[in-house]
Amino acid sequence: MKSAANWIKSAGFGLGALAAGAVFAVTPAPAKAQGTLTVLCGVQEEWCKAIAVAFEKKSGIAVAMSRKSAGEALAQIRAEAANPKTDVWWGGPGDPHLQAAEEGLTLAYESPQYKELQPWAQSQYKQSQGRSIGIYAGALGFTYNTELLGKRKIQAPKCWADLLRPEFKDEIQVANPNASGTAYTALATLVQIFGEEKAFDYLKKLNENVNQYTKSGSAPAAAVARSETLVGIIFMHDGINQKINGFPVDVSAPCEGTGYEIGSVSIIKGSKNLDAAKAFYEFSLSPEGQATGAETKQFQMPSNRKAAVPPEAPNLEEIRLIDYNFQKYGTAEERKRLLSRWDAEIKSVAR
Amino acid sequence: MRPRSAIWLALGWVGFALLPWFAGSGTQPALAPPSPGPAGSALIDGLTNGRWWLLPIALPLLLALAVTALPGLRARRPAVLLASGAFGLAWITVQGFAIGLDGWASGWLGALFGPLALGQGGFGAGAALTALSFLFLMTNGFAGLGFMKGDRFTAGAIGLVLAAIAAFVFLPVGYVLSGAGDTGSGGFSAAALGARLAAPDIWRLSCLTEAKSCGVVWNSVFLAVMTGIATTLLGLAFALVAVRTGFRAKKLLRVLTVLPIITPPFVISLAVILLFGRNGTVTLAMSDWFGLPASRWIYGLPGVLLTQTLAFTPISFLVMIGVVQGIGPSLEEAAQTLRASRWITFRTVTWPLMRPGVANAFLISFIESLADFGNPLILGGNFEVLSTKIYFAVVGAQNDPGRAAALGIILLCLCLGAFWVQRQWLGKKSYATVGGKGDNGIPSQLPRGIKIAAYATALPWAAFTFVLYGLILFGGFTENWGRNNSLTLRHYLAAFDLSWGPGGLIWSGRAWGSLFTTIEVAALSAPLTAAVGLLTAYLLVRQSFKGRGAFEFLTMLSFAIPGTVIGISYILAFNQPPIELTGTITILIICFVFRNMPVSIRAGVAAMSQIDRSLDECSLTLGAGSVQTIRRVILPLLRPAIVASLVYSFVRAITSISAVIFLVSPKYELATAYIVGRVEQGDFGLAIAYSSALIVLMSVVIALIQFAVGERRIGRRAATPVTLQEKPV
Amino acid sequence: MSIASKAAGVEFRNVSRRYGNTTAVDDVSFTIEAGNLVTLLGPSGCGKTTTLRMIAGLEMASSGTILIGGKDVTRLPATDRNVTMVFQSYALFPHMTVADNVAYGLVVSGVRKRDAAAKATEGLELVGLGGYGQRLPSELSGGQQQRVAVARALVLEPEVLLFDEPLSNLDAKLRRKMRDDIRELQQKLGLTSVYVTHDQEEALAVSDRIIVMNKSVIAQTGTPDELYRRPKNRFVADFIGGANLIDGELVGRSGGTATVALGRLTLSVPDPGLPAGEVLLAIRPNAIRLRTGSADSAGDGIPVTVRKATYLGSHMEYGLTSEFGDLFVVDPNVASPVPAGATALATFTGDGIAAVAR
Repeated sequence: MKSAANWIKSAGFGLGALAAGAVFAVTPAPAKAQGTLTVLCGVQEEWCKAIAVAFEKKSGIAVAMSRKSAGEALAQIRAEAANPKTDVWWGGPGDPHLQAAEEGLTLAYESPQYKELQPWAQSQYKQSQGRSIGIYAGALGFTYNTELLGKRKIQAPKCWADLLRPEFKDEIQVANPNASGTAYTALATLVQIFGEEKAFDYLKKLNENVNQYTKSGSAPAAAVARSETLVGIIFMHDGINQKINGFPVDVSAPCEGTGYEIGSVSIIKGSKNLDAAKAFYEFSLSPEGQATGAETKQFQMPSNRKAAVPPEAPNLEEIRLIDYNFQKYGTAEERKRLLSRWDAEIKSVAR
Repeated sequence: MRPRSAIWLALGWVGFALLPWFAGSGTQPALAPPSPGPAGSALIDGLTNGRWWLLPIALPLLLALAVTALPGLRARRPAVLLASGAFGLAWITVQGFAIGLDGWASGWLGALFGPLALGQGGFGAGAALTALSFLFLMTNGFAGLGFMKGDRFTAGAIGLVLAAIAAFVFLPVGYVLSGAGDTGSGGFSAAALGARLAAPDIWRLSCLTEAKSCGVVWNSVFLAVMTGIATTLLGLAFALVAVRTGFRAKKLLRVLTVLPIITPPFVISLAVILLFGRNGTVTLAMSDWFGLPASRWIYGLPGVLLTQTLAFTPISFLVMIGVVQGIGPSLEEAAQTLRASRWITFRTVTWPLMRPGVANAFLISFIESLADFGNPLILGGNFEVLSTKIYFAVVGAQNDPGRAAALGIILLCLCLGAFWVQRQWLGKKSYATVGGKGDNGIPSQLPRGIKIAAYATALPWAAFTFVLYGLILFGGFTENWGRNNSLTLRHYLAAFDLSWGPGGLIWSGRAWGSLFTTIEVAALSAPLTAAVGLLTAYLLVRQSFKGRGAFEFLTMLSFAIPGTVIGISYILAFNQPPIELTGTITILIICFVFRNMPVSIRAGVAAMSQIDRSLDECSLTLGAGSVQTIRRVILPLLRPAIVASLVYSFVRAITSISAVIFLVSPKYELATAYIVGRVEQGDFGLAIAYSSALIVLMSVVIALIQFAVGERRIGRRAATPVTLQEKPV
Repeated sequence: MSIASKAAGVEFRNVSRRYGNTTAVDDVSFTIEAGNLVTLLGPSGCGKTTTLRMIAGLEMASSGTILIGGKDVTRLPATDRNVTMVFQSYALFPHMTVADNVAYGLVVSGVRKRDAAAKATEGLELVGLGGYGQRLPSELSGGQQQRVAVARALVLEPEVLLFDEPLSNLDAKLRRKMRDDIRELQQKLGLTSVYVTHDQEEALAVSDRIIVMNKSVIAQTGTPDELYRRPKNRFVADFIGGANLIDGELVGRSGGTATVALGRLTLSVPDPGLPAGEVLLAIRPNAIRLRTGSADSAGDGIPVTVRKATYLGSHMEYGLTSEFGDLFVVDPNVASPVPAGATALATFTGDGIAAVAR
């Protein structure tokens, strides 16, 4: 008894709207602009934004940039391995970059700027079979709250051994190596300095003084700055960053020697904007690109020898850097073993 | 004659022959040779590119066309439509899963059928439309055979909801389950699954016997029980104060109930740190005035417990106020006329009637606490719970998705278990005392002791909550909270700066990108959530069909799945063909639609149960179809429920964190994920400024939606109040 | 334009409706003539409402065939049947005005707005509610709401108009008026109507024919008079009009009447078509008269004791004890009532007694 027109009208209202929703829901939205370069960024967010803007200005290529911790970035790249959505992984400690290289997630690429780079940057390139390269270096060290130290009349820590002093009881923060690349670097550094058994003895004693294993590597620096804790084990540039921001903090390098990270850049295998990815890679190795760090108060050592070294940056020459074996401690196997041991012997001990 | 089938059939042909079959055709290197021309449909691709497996899809389409066009076959039409729809759908699904980017998706398929030179991408518009067409041809066939009272709309709606739940709830959860037994090399082994599920750091009870920390499950459960008890007591106190005392500022209590809904889950943690952290305002004051040493007690169980209690008390209050209001005053008046004193009345009548509500409130808080991610992430310190452990199993240095999946299964079981207990409680112990008859009694006042206790608990807590929120709003304007409290707009400028460039306005603030994405996602997902939820509610309340109980359970399932597990499962399931969504805005929208749908369903069910069924039956007998009935009769009467689900899904899309932290991508970053990153970096100023902006934004939007949808115009009858119900984060 | 009738007949052929293991309607067959008002009468749960809803298309028959106007509509959903219904709760759409309510069916069927409005006005006038169009349903009284519901169902000129206990929400006085109005309207427009009620008095008052249902099956079909005077079974006898049921024995029959022995008495009843032997006598309360006096004239009555006597103005109600069991009597003689405790003689009028199977 109803006219066809009426039928269609009613169908058009209800089912049509629903179906439109459903079709929409299973149809991936088209990328906003073809050729947008997708970058996972492992440094401070300000720097991420700055280098993206600088690159866009120079090349005209739009950049979608997201800050991710090293672990998050690696997890994402791994999850997307079958069908990558990311083009470049820029910044963050060299270890996970090596891991990605080892798993074949990233692409080998030879840069014409290779010869202009510091030897440590080149070594990252060699160890990764060309799949990754250093863009900055940062040494591991301590940061401490000068105001609190002064108030309590405590000497600033200068050596790893100082951290075991009873006056630091419950006053030290370091990240959880299971979550943070920074803390894993610290763990591997200690193992390389003291030998594995002694290193774990040290960590057990240190555990008495640690009030919290944070999730992010730079969180202890922020905590020290806000007087939440006295001392933090961090990459020194993170501490300097807080100092520049006006907090009563200072940094020091351990006297026994210390490890360092090689902040790296890798191109993701299967990138759909390979040319743009290479352009970004080159830009981030150039003195111009590396200057964006200092512009945003990030004081890592740049890897290009021609790049200006910010005066605030910790001078790597004056720091006792150990001969960090990235090859060995970068493998998934060794990493898993050390982390499991850390979990079993340190983390599980209640405090 | 049967235009609806004909329309869907036509759309099926469009999807098959005209629209691009694959998503993003041509951009994927694995898709060689690329589909030619702008068409790239299954028909063209199958004929010219050697993707022969797409061609059989034509078969059911031809069959359906034959029975629709030829009058001689009319009698067989429903059966043929059913069969061809089912076959088409099955074929699309099977080929989609069997053939991946580089040929056969699994090795054994290659061994069975020989190697395949070509692969294929994920479903695109064509595949989606054709699949949808098959689905509706199938359900039309069902209806034609007399199922669902012959109502094509009902059959189609049930089919659509079921298909969507299968694709976006079951498929991902299935991936998680199989992922937990992943051997690392792509295989599945029960031993690996067992080892992961039984890992000592999950279950050990060593904190009882020696100086070691206990397993993460016990931490989670202990925290959840404590939170459940605390929030239930507070919620009860609030409800008693609101309903059973002469308390005047009841509006204020209403505001209190809205707050947690519009607050990103970790914001309270921030405020708590600013107050009670070692450098917090309260801590410093205590230290200055009373010489209490500043400590870090807030990081760990006490802090998480405090913030969760702050966050979930209002939900408990919402549950409890319904229960307390529902107790018919005449019952208590009856007890009093039977010479019971106030206290005895409370003890023997009021309290037993409230008990199921108390249990319900406890269980909701229990589930919320188990699923909470943001607060333990920020305040947990060394106190580990399942939700954060799952997160770090994925993003941590060990990077073990299998372990994350195993932990996810445990968390899922805990939540489902609690959910099941809650349903049992609700099902068997509902003492609804609100009948159709008006109850003219006056709520009796509380016994003195209980009244004092309720006030003493509720008022300080309410004051505390408001102080915290005041702090959040204020904190965004201070230079550096705790160190330098001079006022500044610095953080707001950093987040929301605007500048003029040669090309016009530049959104130069750091927060704009994530804010725009967030609003886009929320604005798109809210109406979809409301539509799917209310449609499902309509099916549940108004249609009776076989398996309705199971259907209801399925729709509620995603309610009980914690956000972290959803996040993991989505990234596992939707990163490769046939459904390839990672890195798109669509995955965020879908995630929100299916996470928030259960609340929409509940709101719809509650409201629809109050609309006399004879109204829609009457509309049917007057010649209106199901669709017209819904549009002209049910929807206008459902306005409060529509408002509730629109508001809820919009707001939840803005405030969720746990599910989406894995799904955000550089192109589509969400506000909460961005803020959590800022907090982790210690950039509290920006985080707080951004959070306050979100809270203000959401309040405005809620007001706007309320205004836009308006009130029901039904004369003297009062509009039905619909309460928002929280759900696990 | 005026409201006409497209009245059509309804036929059920062996229709059943099952829900899982329970059967709501069991193998029911009947025919309703076009233009008749037929009542489905029975206690709650007898299947009468389910039967009505199957006519409307709101329930689907599990088996059997339903014809309306000679057309098979068994599988046709409610929307596509030309049947309208007046609901027990009236089911007025609370968010629409009275006029919009009445015009609803026309609008959704694609009638132009102006025509629909005109027809709605006409419909409202027909039920005596002209000028109420712009009110909301909640602003009307119960009786007025009822009329709106009727008008709304009428304007679609349905083949069959269904009433589902339409008067149960009204008070006694209004109910009587409304039922007369409905009957008048139905006869004026020549509508086919099916009317569900559990109130036998209402059924007797409005119906052309009554279908009595009990326990999912039809107990008896007939005109009100047939059902009252010649009930076919114990259920119908008791349900319609009420009856004293006492044991008797059928002893003979001649020309349409049968003779039944009750103790020493013999009574004539319409021939029930039962074999001779034990039967049940259904005696209407008003078929018994009480007489005080000597026992010598006991030849035409049975001796009883008055247990209870109630004065109700227009008549007396008595509760009696006799050798055949307790009896309930309605006696129009209020001038000389028999007091409680007295002994009396109960005699039987010629009419109002039926024999049914035991």
